[in-house]
Amino acid sequence: VFLRGSVVLDMMMMDSLPAAWDSVTSALVSSNSCLQMSPMSSCTLSEEALSEALDLLSGHSLAQCVEGWLLETMQVRLTAAVAPEFWAGLEQPENEVEERDRARVLLRAFRTLLVRLEPFLGGLERLGTWQEEGRGGLSGPGSRGLRERALSVIRAVLLFSPPAVLQDRVLEFYSRTFAVHMSREGETEGETEERAHPSDGGLCSGCAVPVEECWCQEALEQLEELSHILSRLQLLERVSSEAVTNILHRLIEQRMEQRCRGEYENSFLSDFQEWLEHVLGWLSRVFVSEAGGSSVRAALGSPTGQPGNTVLQRWRCHMHQFFCRIYVNMRIEELFSIIRDFPESKPAIEDLKFCLERTNQRQQLLTSLKSAFETRLLHPGVHTSDIITVYISAIKALRELDPSMVILQVACQPIRKYLRTREDTVRQIVASLTGDTEGCSDLANELSRTDPVTLETQDSEDEGSEQWGWFDTPDPVRSCSKRRSSDIISLLVSIYGSKEIFIDEYRTVLADRLLHQLNYNTAREIRNVELLKLRFGESHMHYCEVMLKDVADSRRINANIREEESRLPEEEQPPLALSAMILSSEFWPTLKEEKLELPPLASKAMEVYTHRYEKLKAMRTLSWKPHLGSVTLDIELEDRTLTNLSVSPIHAAIILHFQDKSSWSLEELSTVLGVPQEMVRRKLTLWQQQGVLREEAGGRYTVVETCASRERPERSVLLIDSDEEGDSNTTTQSEQREEKLQLFWAYIQAMLTNLETMTLERIHSMLRMFVATGPVVTEMDVNELQAFLQKKVRDHQLIVSGGVYRLPKSSH
Amino acid sequence: MASQNMDPAAAAASTTAALKGGEAGGSAARGSVSKRLQQELMTLMMSGDKGISAFPESDNLFKWIGTIDGAQGTVYEGLRYKLSLEFPSGYPYKAPRVKFITPCYHPNVDEQGFICLDILKEKWSALYDVRSILLSIQSLLGEPNNESPMNAGAAELWENQEAFRAHLHATYKS
Repeated sequence: VFLRGSVVLDMMMMDSLPAAWDSVTSALVSSNSCLQMSPMSSCTLSEEALSEALDLLSGHSLAQCVEGWLLETMQVRLTAAVAPEFWAGLEQPENEVEERDRARVLLRAFRTLLVRLEPFLGGLERLGTWQEEGRGGLSGPGSRGLRERALSVIRAVLLFSPPAVLQDRVLEFYSRTFAVHMSREGETEGETEERAHPSDGGLCSGCAVPVEECWCQEALEQLEELSHILSRLQLLERVSSEAVTNILHRLIEQRMEQRCRGEYENSFLSDFQEWLEHVLGWLSRVFVSEAGGSSVRAALGSPTGQPGNTVLQRWRCHMHQFFCRIYVNMRIEELFSIIRDFPESKPAIEDLKFCLERTNQRQQLLTSLKSAFETRLLHPGVHTSDIITVYISAIKALRELDPSMVILQVACQPIRKYLRTREDTVRQIVASLTGDTEGCSDLANELSRTDPVTLETQDSEDEGSEQWGWFDTPDPVRSCSKRRSSDIISLLVSIYGSKEIFIDEYRTVLADRLLHQLNYNTAREIRNVELLKLRFGESHMHYCEVMLKDVADSRRINANIREEESRLPEEEQPPLALSAMILSSEFWPTLKEEKLELPPLASKAMEVYTHRYEKLKAMRTLSWKPHLGSVTLDIELEDRTLTNLSVSPIHAAIILHFQDKSSWSLEELSTVLGVPQEMVRRKLTLWQQQGVLREEAGGRYTVVETCASRERPERSVLLIDSDEEGDSNTTTQSEQREEKLQLFWAYIQAMLTNLETMTLERIHSMLRMFVATGPVVTEMDVNELQAFLQKKVRDHQLIVSGGVYRLPKSSH
Repeated sequence: MASQNMDPAAAAASTTAALKGGEAGGSAARGSVSKRLQQELMTLMMSGDKGISAFPESDNLFKWIGTIDGAQGTVYEGLRYKLSLEFPSGYPYKAPRVKFITPCYHPNVDEQGFICLDILKEKWSALYDVRSILLSIQSLLGEPNNESPMNAGAAELWENQEAFRAHLHATYKS
């Protein structure tokens, strides 16, 4: 095919042509070491002879085949001998156990590989030079191009499907050098306890063998050599990347597990940043030659002054990415606990925020947090106030994490939805707003902290200073529409979509508090009302203001009346010091109605009081609620005196009757007081506990004038209080009661739907049996239930005939 | 009968032991099952689902009566069915026994009121509760599984919805 030229010439040259080919090829592949080490030595062909041979070849258009031949030869050798030898060398010593030996084997294998391939690389280099010089009419890609081609052949043949052993060995070796490197860095930094710890056991912290056998230095040297070989063969990226990635991933994860898990009160960012810089030092050892050690690379003219930077920079980015991702993953898992611990966990939130901005895991975070809320928070076992507390923490934490509030809105949706189904949500929120509940003072702080006036104004947004530290002093300009959406109180109030519910509930709570104290001390209440007024507007709080004013007025009127009385002559002085709380009935929540006939002494005093009031306030009169209030009394018995007892009016009325007659039956008391026997019996227990009364045989109660036992009175002081409390609470909890009744109604409807008809007694016993919510059911006696059912009958929600109740037919 | 071939004393001992064991385990389990059922009742009361309802029949928490209204848009619309639910002591790990009290003309319900529904049998899971059972049965009414009918006549007639409705309403008695 080549015989394009004259046949004659071919014939003439026949002898010399093979010779020329031989000399050229041997010059290229011959002992490469000669070429490298002493190019001028005698073992090379003389330059002239070589040129002649080249010319001859090119004369026959054969010179261009040299390139093809050389690459082909290399590939054949590689496939047939070099690669198998390499793999065999790597795997051969099955028996050696020592990690150190394995490292040596690894290095040896690569060394051999390089030695085997060097001749070809050298030859290619030379051929390339010839091509660049145009010697013998050669042309081609030049040394750089040839080299690239050869190296891609090597990569292809060698690493087409590398056995796992290579990765394993490389991984092991890199891990070791990493440990060595970090331990050295650690020493220079004088760092960390856990590094010092292993060396206590006589083991080198770097290579984990007894100190006297330490091969740290050797490992580092080996690493350097290996890196150079890999770099020379351009295998670094292929061989090392996976192992390095692997190691980084594992180590970051490990370190994070050790240091950060469960630890929310410290920021780990800078700590990790520092640590990652150390790691980068190791990376620069691994990628040292690629970074610019290789003269070839330098010759190729890396454009930057610091050629290593690009590779290392890339790895640095990778590492940060790893770090952020792993950190975010871990924190997402822990987010519920972090939120629960807020604000102590603020550093963790800040770290997470930083990392979350760098990874794309918001969706993952949302999903995980929502399900954490559902499994850990939103079930019947959690008290409403705890749910609210966590919700408040979540608001605080999430608005820190994500100032756009998207996470807050989406993640907390289930909480809001769930809270809507809890009956005591409003009460709990109101109670904590006014600081009634212990432990949940957040809301009270929130209420007094914020300057709500700014909520109304639309100041320019101050994005830069978004450090809403909820515990530092309020910043008057920190407000914007965005702020409003994350305002805790607004968020809580909006659970129900209307502030009226809250205001009504607050009114109840306020009434409860004012009537509970009965001491006209309203300073705290006034403050709360003022604060709420700023939030909800004047008009909404009008009722509450009237209530507070009532208290103030009552105090004045009382003072007036007292003064008037004090001017009376001695014999006209009233026997009973009476103070009244005068409420404007329109503005107060409905009070629990109860009948109670007070003893003449008290009712007389009340009459007198009413007269004086009517004189004072023309056109007005008083309508007494005899069962509400508090009586302070002393009881003088034969052998003892109980002083300063503070009891409810019914208690006082009962004991007052015993003043005239020392023995009463339940029935008599019930008649004279106008109160059901059951109630009288219950109230009597206080005096029995107190040791003042005793139940005799035949159901009569008598006064215990002389007390045998000593310890009784002391013990019962507590009992008075608890009894009192329970009592006065029920007076104003009519609304809450209404809510409970709604629950009963659901049960009643269900039982009538399924069991068709039931008697009052059956309904009552079923309710008692199956309503599982607290003490309420026991308080609902048959009479109350009957009244409730009668009301439902009047509303046509229930039908009663012949003593059995049923649902109307059309109810479904 | 088998016990006759055994040592009577041993047999007696083993039965009493078994009884005792059963009793002790049973009462503890019964407590937690009661709690669960109480909770389920509460959930059901609070859920306010229209068209399904259930309540313990008497003071025995393990026997309930359920009520299902035929779903709107199905041939069962306007009809109301009563069911009985009996909870085994292994509840919720064992499925409750559910059957219709009101006769129900339906491809997957037989004449005794037994229901062919996978979640009451092999597909039962402790995650189901009374509410989900009732909802499932309610939707079964409108969407029968005609592959394996217990009432072949009903399954055949199902194709013709008008005829089915006519027959259903004619035979319905609460």
